[in-house]
Amino acid sequence: MVEKKKTTTKKTETKKKDTKKVAPVKQEIKKQAPVKTGPSEKPRIGVFICHCGTNIAGSIDIKDLEAYAKTIPNVAHTDNYQYVCSTPGQKKITDAIRDQKLTGTVVAACSPRLHEPTFRTATKEGGLNQFRFEMANIREQNAWVHMHDKEGATDKAKDTIRIAVAKASLLEDLTPKTVPVEKAAMVVGAGIAGMQAALDLAAAGIKTYLIESAPSIGGRMSQLDKTFPTLDCSQCILTPKMVDVGRDSNIELYTYSEVDAVEGYIGNFDVTIRKKARGVLTMAEAEARGIIGGGCNGCGDCDPVCPVVKPNVFEMGMKPRKAIYINHPQVVPLLYTIDFDSCVKCGLCVTACGPERKAIDLEAKDEFIKVKVGTAILATGFELFPIEKKTEWGYKKFENVITGLEFERLICASGPTSGHLVRPSDGETPKRIAFLLCAGSRDNTGVGKPYCSRFCCMYSLKHAHQIYEKIPGAQTYIFYMDIRSFGKAYEEFYYRIQDEGTKFVRGRVANILEDPKSKNLHVYADDTLLDRPMDLEVDLVVLASAVQPSEDTNRTRKLFGVSCSMDGWLLEAHPKLNPCGTTTAGVFLAGVCQGPKDIPDTVASAEGAASAASIPIHKGEVELEPYFATCIEEKCAGCGMCVNLCPYSALALVDKDGRTVMEVTEAKCKGCGTCGGFCPGGAIWMNHFATPQIVAQIDAFLLGGEQ
Amino acid sequence: MSESKFKFAFYLGCIAPNRYPGVESASIKAMKKLGVELVPLKGASCCPAPGAFGSIDLNVFYAMAARNLVLAEQMKMDIALVCNGCYKSIWEVNHKLKHNKDLRDNVNEVLKEVDMEYKGTINVYHTAELLYNDKFIGVDKVRDSVTNPLTGARIAVHYGCHLTKPHKDREFEKEVMLNTEHPVWMEELVAALGATPVEYRNKMQCCGAGGGVRGYDIVHALDIANEKLINITEQKVDALTDICPFCQLQFDRGQIEIQEKFGVSYNLPVLHYAELLGLAQGMSPQDLGLDLHGISCESFLQKVL
Amino acid sequence: MVRTKGYPAALDQKLQDTRLHNDDSNPEFTKNVKAISRTTAHMCYQCGTCTGSCPSAPRSTYRIRKFMRRAVLGLENEALTDPDLWLCTTCYSCSDRCPRDIIPTDVIMAMRNLAFKRDIIPVNFLKTVQSIYKTGHGVPNNDVNRAAREKIGLSRDPPTTHMYPEYIPGIQKILDHYNLKANSDRIVKEREG
Ligand code: SF4
Ligand code: SF4
Repeated sequence: MVEKKKTTTKKTETKKKDTKKVAPVKQEIKKQAPVKTGPSEKPRIGVFICHCGTNIAGSIDIKDLEAYAKTIPNVAHTDNYQYVCSTPGQKKITDAIRDQKLTGTVVAACSPRLHEPTFRTATKEGGLNQFRFEMANIREQNAWVHMHDKEGATDKAKDTIRIAVAKASLLEDLTPKTVPVEKAAMVVGAGIAGMQAALDLAAAGIKTYLIESAPSIGGRMSQLDKTFPTLDCSQCILTPKMVDVGRDSNIELYTYSEVDAVEGYIGNFDVTIRKKARGVLTMAEAEARGIIGGGCNGCGDCDPVCPVVKPNVFEMGMKPRKAIYINHPQVVPLLYTIDFDSCVKCGLCVTACGPERKAIDLEAKDEFIKVKVGTAILATGFELFPIEKKTEWGYKKFENVITGLEFERLICASGPTSGHLVRPSDGETPKRIAFLLCAGSRDNTGVGKPYCSRFCCMYSLKHAHQIYEKIPGAQTYIFYMDIRSFGKAYEEFYYRIQDEGTKFVRGRVANILEDPKSKNLHVYADDTLLDRPMDLEVDLVVLASAVQPSEDTNRTRKLFGVSCSMDGWLLEAHPKLNPCGTTTAGVFLAGVCQGPKDIPDTVASAEGAASAASIPIHKGEVELEPYFATCIEEKCAGCGMCVNLCPYSALALVDKDGRTVMEVTEAKCKGCGTCGGFCPGGAIWMNHFATPQIVAQIDAFLLGGEQ
Repeated sequence: MSESKFKFAFYLGCIAPNRYPGVESASIKAMKKLGVELVPLKGASCCPAPGAFGSIDLNVFYAMAARNLVLAEQMKMDIALVCNGCYKSIWEVNHKLKHNKDLRDNVNEVLKEVDMEYKGTINVYHTAELLYNDKFIGVDKVRDSVTNPLTGARIAVHYGCHLTKPHKDREFEKEVMLNTEHPVWMEELVAALGATPVEYRNKMQCCGAGGGVRGYDIVHALDIANEKLINITEQKVDALTDICPFCQLQFDRGQIEIQEKFGVSYNLPVLHYAELLGLAQGMSPQDLGLDLHGISCESFLQKVL
Repeated sequence: MVRTKGYPAALDQKLQDTRLHNDDSNPEFTKNVKAISRTTAHMCYQCGTCTGSCPSAPRSTYRIRKFMRRAVLGLENEALTDPDLWLCTTCYSCSDRCPRDIIPTDVIMAMRNLAFKRDIIPVNFLKTVQSIYKTGHGVPNNDVNRAAREKIGLSRDPPTTHMYPEYIPGIQKILDHYNLKANSDRIVKEREG
């Protein structure tokens, strides 16, 4: 380790003078720097330039860059290598630190998001404090975006390295903080992804709060009839899991609830759950109110008396429900819910429920519950893109144009038609059925989704199969652009469906028109393989509508500080190497909320997320980046203005040695710098982003060209 | 009406003034009653025909359309026009030139030779849009202006293509006008005259005349129109209305050609919406020059007069 | 282009090599089409939505999708010499629905522009040019119409270039700038003598 000295200020000033970059203002700023641990000797920085194969070397002149780096003040050593992140690459760093007595390292390579930890470790192994490392991103923010401008890219890389060196020269030793991790986790969303993740966490001995906004669990999968390619019934494989979730003592289930607020950080998230007013008490809740033997037992006596009729969303609106309802008989938990938006508070259900059970409370209010968890998993799922926006296919205009999810309900034995597939217009059995793939997917028009929704090909094949199972003499047509049967046993399934008689038409449907009398549909398309336009009359059209993140995804992800991509899917930490993690430590993703997935992939992703989320909990403590604000007490006037500015309530005024000064609660501070930038007395020092360090970076950029 | 609330430079195009002059006179009179004055755009030329000129050389197309735009710019007036084809040339070139400096510079280089400069200071509207948009007139005012309601007349609507397509490049304040699959705004305008708008199969299909096809391969063009005529006459309508004199020519004169070439006849009266509006406001068939139509409007007139 | 095998002409024609070869493609063609059409012509993924929407397709061999493919592959000769190029009615139905957000109609227009550079153009298009050069109108006034206009209270000639012929020289200058009149006259003469 480099010895700590206490004269940072003086030294940096000298250095600055050496490089003729001194302005009076800056000197003043320098003087504000507190006496802290830091490099005392003249900084000796090593610069390591990575080719990243041709990722960087393809658009930046490495030789020229290295030659330039040698001329930057304080640079004592330079090197370049094909992959600096590899073992030999890292060895170059550790060796140079020892041999060249470096005081800091700069690696010019990819984004710190990817390899900052790698190079910190290398720096540490070389004998320096790991925070003496600075990354210069010349890949994502340079090589990749300036691919066709080698000269410009090289110039920009020079700037980036010079700036990084300026900072590295002023970096100090820091010690990461460790904090204990709460031995509990939260899973948001109780579809198949959330259920699987919760079950895994619970099985690993972790107390898990499972939050579901719908009245019951099971999510989209519980709406499906059979599943491809095995054709096992969705309910049959899902129900046991639902029951397991309901009875697992490590799982605390909150249905009809949502996350209201999140505070804290990995290891210590304080989450407020909003239990929406449900109007119906569980047996436990009834008992808590002193109604012994009361509470909802799911008998359904209330249902027939309720006068309000609404569409059942679970049945895609194809079946009615009352204002007091369960979605279907197999719900978990078996507990009625009152839809207070439509309830007229007539009280008939209260009477029907009776004085023993007393399960109904028409005056129920939302309740707020606070829990503490160490990690959290988002599994918020998907919904269908509103395909009526693609007006050419006439969904919601022509009765016999339905979506794949409506088809699932219509073909499902427990669905609104008891599994008899009928045309919505007249209840007749359709004989000619057309399936439209890529309905709204792979669409760059702005109305629709640019991505592939990934499971529609396969479920449409399955739909076609189900028609042949149930409707003798039927003929199905699948309009496709490409059949993406990429999963295990999927291509074999495709073979089987074609063998069963489905006609595959390679053409995206141009438009659909309805015969106003028969309500039959004319499908206009180009059979691109035959090179002939077609007008195909069918009885029913099923749109394999694109999927999009579920409605509440955006609100929820913001609470947890998770980013999303342009199309709204939640952003993983790394698309290949960390698909379940996010850039917020301690928050993970499971299932479709991260991007479209079929059931096998969803379950795999959920198990991955559960495993990742259990690691910090099992470790028991996590290291936090020591990027806290610290108070330079001699300078602090105790004005307290920063206390109110801090968005994380991390600051407070305390009395010390007879003076009022500010104190930072490090565990709460996120290092955002709001206070540091504001403090009129310059009394707040931001670790690793200190004013002199930032000013040096700006100077290096602005005055750099003069060197 | 004494004072007109709005004034537009009236861009006539070719077919309206030179084949269906009733469209011109009805537009001027009817719009005047609705508070919109149409002022002659002196020296205007062909828009130029988007099919022909667009196919030959888009640069000429831009320059020629820009010349017409500059005439209106010099009058400091927005343009109103009565033809979808003209809309494609005049509106679209205006839009393109406003948004693309490279095109604007090219065009101005040519216009310099005739001492003109395109500045991009005006907007272009179709009269159908002025009638539909209550910022200018609106369906209610149209309804109020009717003195001779066309009660009992079953009228099919032909929207044509170039007013609203491609919708991704169009900008209408009334968003329903951007619906190019199942629009009903023209039907609303027809209903405002007291007539019954009638839906028919494949309403949005093209008339077949555009893109130079009518000149290049007349039977091909007529076959497209004929498909529409079959679909329309299936519904037992009294007339077809349009907002494009070129479509009107294709359906009106086209019926005679269809009779000649394919041996089928429909005798379906075809009227521009301006002509319908004129009738509903009390103009006589003679005022509208309806006798110039290829297909006699008599059967229809008997129903509504 | 016909790839001769050195057989007698009729056989050469019958047995010509119809395979696609590298030299069938002209990458410049793709670029030019993109530049003139101002749309992403190279992005077509051949879904067929355009042809399925096209009113010209069901009554002819015209396939807009095929022209899109030619744009992608740079098949200049094949595209420009195909008489179907002139069957697009410019209805923009394809453009309204193309999921790749391409405007195929404008691709056709761009190809027609490029065809004209090779003198490939139906004469009716040129006659419109000639008419405008002379009168300012593609469909000019006539005596029957003049009389009718007068009868309904309009001026015999509309207040366009018809009433103000002093505007015609300006139009001619613009057309001459592009040499359009001369070219039209030349081609019409070549075709019709
Ligand atoms: S609709 Fe668009 S993407 Fe599809 S084939 Fe036509 S041009 Fe290509
Ligand atoms: S614009 Fe042309 S190619 Fe496109 S659908 Fe219409 S006629 Fe066919």
